Amino acid sequence: MARQKKRSSGTSGSSGSKINGKREKKIKDKLLQSIMPAVLVTIVVLVLISSVLTRSRMHEMAQSELEASITNQSDNIEAWMQENLENFSTIKTTIEAVKPSDDELADLLSAYVGTNSNSPNGVYAASQSGKLYVGEGAELSVSDPTSTEWFKQGLTRVDMAYGEAYKNSDGVYVISASGIINDGSDDLKVAAADVTLDKISIIVNSGVKMKHASSFLVNTDDNMILAHRDSSLVSTTLSPGSSDPVLAGVYEKIANADYSTDQMGGYTVAFSEVSNTDWLLVSYIENKIIMANVTRLILILLLVGLLAVIIISILIRLIVDRVIKPISAITENISAMSSGDFTIEVSNTSNDEIGRMGEQVGKFVGSMRNMLSSINHESERLKIQSDNSDTVSRNMYDASQSQEEAMENLNHTVDELAIAVNEIAENATTLKMVVSDTKANSDKASESMKETVDISQKGRADMERLSEAMDGIRLANDELVTSINKVGKASDEITNIVDMIGDIAEETNLLSLNASIEAARAGEAGRGFAVVATEIGGLANNSADSVNNISALIDQVRGLIDDVVSQANASARSIQENSELIATAMQTFDQIFQNIQSTSDVIDEMIIGVSKVDDVAANVAAISEQQAASADEILETSRSMVEQAQSITASSQDVADNSHELAETSQTLTGYVQQFKIKKEDE
Amino acid sequence: MRNITKKTGFLLAIALIAVCVFVGCGDKGGSGAGLKIMYVTNTLDDYRTLLQEATISTASTEGVTLDVQEGTSSVDDQVNQIKSAVSGGYDAIICLMSDSSTALQLEAVAGDLPIVFVNSMPSEDQLDADKYMYVGSQERDAGTFQAEYVWDKLGKPSSLNALIFMGEPGHSGTIGRTSAVKDYFKDNGVNADFVFCDYGNWSDEIAADKFNIFLRTKQDFDAVFCNNDTMAIGIVKEMKKHGFDTSKIPVVGVDATAAGCQSIVDGGMQFTAYQSAAGQGEMGIKTAIALATKGSAKGLEGLNDEGTIVWVPFEPVTASNVKDYQ
Repeated sequence: MARQKKRSSGTSGSSGSKINGKREKKIKDKLLQSIMPAVLVTIVVLVLISSVLTRSRMHEMAQSELEASITNQSDNIEAWMQENLENFSTIKTTIEAVKPSDDELADLLSAYVGTNSNSPNGVYAASQSGKLYVGEGAELSVSDPTSTEWFKQGLTRVDMAYGEAYKNSDGVYVISASGIINDGSDDLKVAAADVTLDKISIIVNSGVKMKHASSFLVNTDDNMILAHRDSSLVSTTLSPGSSDPVLAGVYEKIANADYSTDQMGGYTVAFSEVSNTDWLLVSYIENKIIMANVTRLILILLLVGLLAVIIISILIRLIVDRVIKPISAITENISAMSSGDFTIEVSNTSNDEIGRMGEQVGKFVGSMRNMLSSINHESERLKIQSDNSDTVSRNMYDASQSQEEAMENLNHTVDELAIAVNEIAENATTLKMVVSDTKANSDKASESMKETVDISQKGRADMERLSEAMDGIRLANDELVTSINKVGKASDEITNIVDMIGDIAEETNLLSLNASIEAARAGEAGRGFAVVATEIGGLANNSADSVNNISALIDQVRGLIDDVVSQANASARSIQENSELIATAMQTFDQIFQNIQSTSDVIDEMIIGVSKVDDVAANVAAISEQQAASADEILETSRSMVEQAQSITASSQDVADNSHELAETSQTLTGYVQQFKIKKEDE
Repeated sequence: MRNITKKTGFLLAIALIAVCVFVGCGDKGGSGAGLKIMYVTNTLDDYRTLLQEATISTASTEGVTLDVQEGTSSVDDQVNQIKSAVSGGYDAIICLMSDSSTALQLEAVAGDLPIVFVNSMPSEDQLDADKYMYVGSQERDAGTFQAEYVWDKLGKPSSLNALIFMGEPGHSGTIGRTSAVKDYFKDNGVNADFVFCDYGNWSDEIAADKFNIFLRTKQDFDAVFCNNDTMAIGIVKEMKKHGFDTSKIPVVGVDATAAGCQSIVDGGMQFTAYQSAAGQGEMGIKTAIALATKGSAKGLEGLNDEGTIVWVPFEPVTASNVKDYQ
């Protein structure tokens, strides 16, 4: 819906047809613009890649072809020279085997003259003494053979080998194969045979197997060119300053003894050393020739590419034209639609995406038509409804205003209520604090009381112990009296014993008197006995004295005991008095203890009471705080209610305004919808 | 900033560890641990025995399991040995070919297995960098050493007359050694006149015969270059017979054979160039390890520009150091 609206509003300009015309071109151009660069780039890249690949491949191929060609040439030269050398060596071996005399040697050599077309003079020889041996028919004129190059070279070997090239007496460049004839003769002979460079030149100049390639032969010993297509260069020497880049380059290569294939001033140059010689075969080909094919290939590729570009652009144009054709019909319909004409009929011909698009546009036009007529209908109804709502909203505005006032009053009342509740809460909190203090104090009193109970209990226990101690003292005193009484009895017995001893002493004294009397009667004979009797009498007297003393002492002891007994009795009496006093004190302590105990119980009960009061006070405080909070909430609520009432008032004002606006809008809408042509269909 | 520094540090640490791990793997001795290499060789002679012993000892220090096959001159046997290396899960083959022209056939049998040819050189175009390689000594070196010694010995004259006794025609030793001698003098601006230059076919007898023929040309000579010791010994014998003083006219050879060294000790030959069997054996194993582990011989000493050949230098042997080679 929204998209379709947008599209219709977007294209509903005065210059719609022009824009449409431009668009038709643009699709084609756009396709071309986006596809052609890609096609171009692809073709160019393909051409580049293939040219680069072809270049390097061609180069490689040319190089290997050149190398193959030069190897072949080199092998040919070698084989040709080897063939001749073997021919000469066979002749020399024959000479060595035959060991001919001078004349015989001349005959022998004559037999071979003309047998080898490459060496028309055949084999010839010279001795150190200066004798020259030449076969008959040979055209050779040598004045001083020992000074010739071939002779000197020949002296350096027995096996025949080629020496350096030189100009012979006829002014022709030749190379000589020479070697010592080992025939055992004293006059040392050297056999030699010449081959002209013509044959080698033919191999070098015409034996090139690669088209457009050229070759030349150089002696690396002295850098002399032995064969070259340009005959003026033959027998000249290579120099680094040569204007020919190949000749200069080859000079460098020989100097470095590096015979790898190389590039020199636009030429590919290959080298091959000819075995058993100091010769270097050089073969070269201009890169342009190698690349000629590559250039042609690139040209063809470019042409094909260009053709492809043209064909592709034509194809794209044709295809786009065909594809776009049905779209232009649809575009016309859309243009009509954009100018508000929904009376059009869309014809559908094709069955592809574009056909489906036309079909959908047709459907769209139908549904738009229906929709527009219902919108028209609806907008009129809407206008009436919005007028109604305008009235309703005005009523609502009034109602909400009065509600706002009521709300403000309520708010005021709640405000006061909140203040009152807050006061209650504060008082309850204070009460709670006081009760808490009281509880703390009574707890302290309870503790002190408990301490007092403990102390009094201890005092009573001490008292009991004291009473027990008193009893102990009394018993001890009684025992003491008993003991003392026993002592008194014992001293009475002692007195009796002492009296008895006194009696014994008296009798003894009497006996001694009797004895002394008897002794005196006995006269002299009883004299001794008289002495004893006297002594016994003394002893008895002493005993009587002691008994008297003892009696006196015992009397003293008895007196003392009597004193002790009277004193013990006195202390027993005082102990008895003390015990009675202690018992009284104990009774008093018990009384005190019981009194304190009951006081403590009372205090405990008081504490429980206080705790209960404390809890209640706390509850009261909490409840009154909650109440205060609730009151605040109520206050807040009533405040917001006031605000809401105010905003309702404002809103109802807005609603009133909006419904007024709505009424106007619906009028405008009705006007717009009536612009669309739909009634034609209806009529 | 700090974060970046931390990150950088972390990355650097990782990089460092990685580098350490890689370098550690590549550089340390015993890098061939766990590798299995087959050694195929020609029938043993003195030189090949030395080469084989050097190969075995290098293999053991590098921690390589080296399986030495019995030396054979038969191409078929060598082909079979290489076939068994392919089926036996070897990592590389070191091969002293019985015939240097069979390289292509051996390579075809080996397939993906790298072959390091030693001592006997196949044609260069049959070598493949990092795959089918050659370890050997550059023939030219021997000639260059000879010429260098002789020129110094003669007091660097501006011209000299010299004799060259070459090996067999077409042999790589013949061509390389001879041309190096000639080139040395040419490069140093010495006018060297090779008054006699012929093939001695490695033989002392042929060399002696040709020397006698040369003597009949009655030319003076300052030095005798021989492509090998055997020919040099033959020449020394002839020279002594004809009263030439070999201490004044240097005779030089190549190979440092036992007889050659003895000749130097006895005052016959003056110089020989030693083709290091130890060096070739060592580099053979090292090249095989490099190919088996890294797939590349890069970084090996003596590797040529094409990466196909590892050159083991010849060593000059004179009276002063001949003891080390006897």
